[in-house]
Amino acid sequence: MVTKRSVSLADEVATAVEEAAKQDGVSFSAWLSSAAERQLRVRQGLRGVAAWEAEAGDLTAEEIAAGEALLARLLSGVSGMASRVRRR
Amino acid sequence: MATSRVGLVYGSAALRAAARGDRMVWALHRAALAIGIVPVVPASAIAEGYRTEARGDRLAALLAGSEVEVLSGEGARRAGELAARADTTDLVAVEVVEVADRRGCAVVASRQTALRAAAGLLGHDLVLYAV
Repeated sequence: MVTKRSVSLADEVATAVEEAAKQDGVSFSAWLSSAAERQLRVRQGLRGVAAWEAEAGDLTAEEIAAGEALLARLLSGVSGMASRVRRR
Repeated sequence: MATSRVGLVYGSAALRAAARGDRMVWALHRAALAIGIVPVVPASAIAEGYRTEARGDRLAALLAGSEVEVLSGEGARRAGELAARADTTDLVAVEVVEVADRRGCAVVASRQTALRAAAGLLGHDLVLYAV
């Protein structure tokens, strides 16, 4: 089922979305819907992380930095082995 | 030269690690979400995760921020043929590699020969965080 809504976008955003949708071979609406869905998934995911932290203890600044560094390595194409970050 | 990746695919070992409270896996998951990357999980890995892990609540928390990749009929055929060529019964590992190759993702999984065999057959340069 689809709900029709009227939304307002800044001119430059609308132009960029039009271009991106064209490149991806989907409609303007489908592109916006997909972007919104992804944003909602990120939001739900961060809530999931917070739920786990509420039980297991907050990730420390050191652990967060280690996760970010690991992600950066993987996205740059470098494999890695599991290592442990000491929890303060 | 290393090829960059645009996302992450979780295998069943990644789910297992999260269910058992592996803090690095949770930190990696958080880091991905923080920059708008939603990790991908093949449905078969989810089934395997729930089969082996008692902490379904933790799996659900991780999966809340993940995209489930559902296998199509065509995808199932490709995975089965690839598993046969890789001489493995580990369909989850084969699916993980197939998704990683098709979507340009790095893999979070265990260190398995099946992963490497499937990647080799696809000519895929596997980028793996072995948990």
